[in-house]
Amino acid sequence: MDRTLFLMGNEAIGYGAVRAGATFACAYPGTPSTEIIETAARLEGIHAEWCVNEKVSLETAVGTSRAGARTIVTMKHVGLNVAADPLLTLTETGVNAGLVIVSADDPGMSSSQNEQDSRNYAKFAKIPMLEPSDSQEAYDFVAEAFALSEEFDTPVLLRSSTKLSHGRGQVVQRAPVEFEAREYVKDITKHLMVPQWARLRNRFVIERLQRLRQRAEESPLNILEAGAADFGIITSGVVYQYAREAFPDAWFLKLGMSHPLPYKKVAELYERVSRVVVIEELDPFIEEQVRMLGLPVIGKEAIPADGELDQDIVFQALEPYVTSTPPQRRLPVFPPAPRLADPPPAADLPVRPPVLCAGCKHRSVFTALKRHKLAAMGDIGCYMLGADPPLNALDSSLCMGASVGVMAGFNEALGRKAAVAVIGDSTFFHSGITPLISAHYNGAEGLVLILDNRTTAMTGHQGNPGSGLRADLTEGPAIDIERMCDGMGIRCVTVDAADYPALKAALKAEIDAPGLSVFVAKAPCALMVREKLGEIVVDEERCNVCGLCLDIGCPAIAPGEDFVSITDGCTGCGLCIEVCHRGALGYAEHEIDR
Amino acid sequence: MKGVTTVSLMGVGGQGILLAAAIIAETASAEGLRVKASEVHGMAQRGGSVVSTVRFGERVWSPVSRATDVVIATELLEGHRGLRLLGPQGILVCAATTRIAPGSVLRGEEAYPDDLHAAAAARGVRLIAVDAEALAREAGTVRAVNVALLGAASAVFPFTADSWQRGLKAAVPAKILAVNERAFALGRGAVSNEDAQAL
Repeated sequence: MDRTLFLMGNEAIGYGAVRAGATFACAYPGTPSTEIIETAARLEGIHAEWCVNEKVSLETAVGTSRAGARTIVTMKHVGLNVAADPLLTLTETGVNAGLVIVSADDPGMSSSQNEQDSRNYAKFAKIPMLEPSDSQEAYDFVAEAFALSEEFDTPVLLRSSTKLSHGRGQVVQRAPVEFEAREYVKDITKHLMVPQWARLRNRFVIERLQRLRQRAEESPLNILEAGAADFGIITSGVVYQYAREAFPDAWFLKLGMSHPLPYKKVAELYERVSRVVVIEELDPFIEEQVRMLGLPVIGKEAIPADGELDQDIVFQALEPYVTSTPPQRRLPVFPPAPRLADPPPAADLPVRPPVLCAGCKHRSVFTALKRHKLAAMGDIGCYMLGADPPLNALDSSLCMGASVGVMAGFNEALGRKAAVAVIGDSTFFHSGITPLISAHYNGAEGLVLILDNRTTAMTGHQGNPGSGLRADLTEGPAIDIERMCDGMGIRCVTVDAADYPALKAALKAEIDAPGLSVFVAKAPCALMVREKLGEIVVDEERCNVCGLCLDIGCPAIAPGEDFVSITDGCTGCGLCIEVCHRGALGYAEHEIDR
Repeated sequence: MKGVTTVSLMGVGGQGILLAAAIIAETASAEGLRVKASEVHGMAQRGGSVVSTVRFGERVWSPVSRATDVVIATELLEGHRGLRLLGPQGILVCAATTRIAPGSVLRGEEAYPDDLHAAAAARGVRLIAVDAEALAREAGTVRAVNVALLGAASAVFPFTADSWQRGLKAAVPAKILAVNERAFALGRGAVSNEDAQAL
């Protein structure tokens, strides 16, 4: 069997993903990246999806990676801007199964509104960047990227560009990589990026970059190629091919892994030659780092900082420098590893973390949800506090609006409703609608729980399109989530979050129902209404401190030796009465007027 | 008065730490001093520990400082936490009866710290403990604990009564100004001259 194919770079990436054991691929189309998903969609063994945008694509990919499937997500350079929010926190959470992000740059703007260099995102997110230079490497590097992703617990960027994506070349197919789906293990210290855990993961990210730099020094993707001339070229991606053709006698440092830069490999080139140039399309990404090492280099003063390159441009640009620049030798100065801030001293007093407020009626959602063995993908807002003990009700929080995409991906990878999404009303309007559309369009299983308190509570009760309250406190239209879902053809049920029995039953019905649905739990923020609904008293004879009421995590219930007690903060919401099996909690006879 | 005075206000989210800090800042400003302040917003406010710092003097650069001259704590555990920011000659003004146990204490995993007087004495910190809750109730609302305590603390600041008056007016919303003025006055009256040796 002839194992050689003649493939477009994008096709090679698609084939490479399948060969690497990836089982999920998603994207929003964008030239020059589109054909990767089109290729994956027609290959066996991988499921491909169009998501509604690149942010949703990446969040869905996070879900499939978490669920244990190797996942590739692709986009054009400007799409990476849209996906930047999840990316910059995904670098903290890392991955379960490998997650590779392909960003295809468009130097010369053949079909784009701007030129931007995706390598800057690798630096920004402190993650590795691989840059294949032809179709064979595009195919091969995908497996390298997945291996790096899992070994270093990081998303990996793979940069293409127009001439690589849409150029064609021979690809020798390799033996498939054996990959077994990884098991998902709940770990909020890794998946739920509240400040407490994100601070620790951020330290991990900074240290990981140092280890990745060491790997870049040793990686076979970064090759020092000997030449006959006293002239060295540092380059990456398809530009390597132009430079090789223009200067066949030069020494080459070919960077297949261009971030983090292997400083010692750069220095090694300087030991061999007296003149070095960096040839790269768009930004002086490598050049600036070489200059930072204190090494003389020819870069963007000769090589155009805009547009596409080719061998003629490269040759004409550098020819005068190659012959006329006097030899210069200098020793590099390697930057020291960064210092991390001193960790805070160990607390010798009880810490007081923020808590879900006493009287928050949305506590009922977490209490009901805990009865089901489902992962709960959370979002950004005060409901993140449902993750803390004793509720322990959330698995994940990535970035604004991510809950829905992460849930959809997770369920797609496992082929069942294994996770729900938990999102507030304001966050839903921020960026929860697009992933809902995407999940619906792609036939995902799932349940989106919208905790609707009619305000943006976490930041201080600002208005939002659900309340209609504007910044200047005038009234605008209030958007009805149920009608919105109706218009999209998504089943939506609305329940009173204060009615625990009804909420519990409705939630079970939605969890048991196949397909995708939305569940809106409505109740105003307890901090806005500040009402006392009644005086709750404990029957000290009946209470046996079984812990059922303590498990709802209300800060107004205190355990005791023989019975629990209700403290000052109690608003009388009555959820504790509902969960008590012994009738030990109830309202006092004289109810306080509402 | 030395160059820059640093005051840390510590309490539990929801106790009005930001408002008390704003009153001090406005009062220092009324005294013609330069003022900088740093506050905590967002999730930390949901029943978590909250710290606000106000710094004033002839010239203030940084809005924060690890060395604090005065801590005003609206809760006893936060008072203990505040002690750790104070050196000898530091002053801790603390609500003497306000005890809000965090979850770990409620669950019996950690112990609520004991005697604040002994702890303050051990560090050489001057403690002014005031039953701010009782004063706030007397003023008309228990929610004015923050301002009642600030009234008690006011005597240690080198500010005139008139400046405090202006600070209160500038920082407190009009509809709750009257009750807070009463709470402040009750707090100020609760501290003896002897306790109130100024900074």
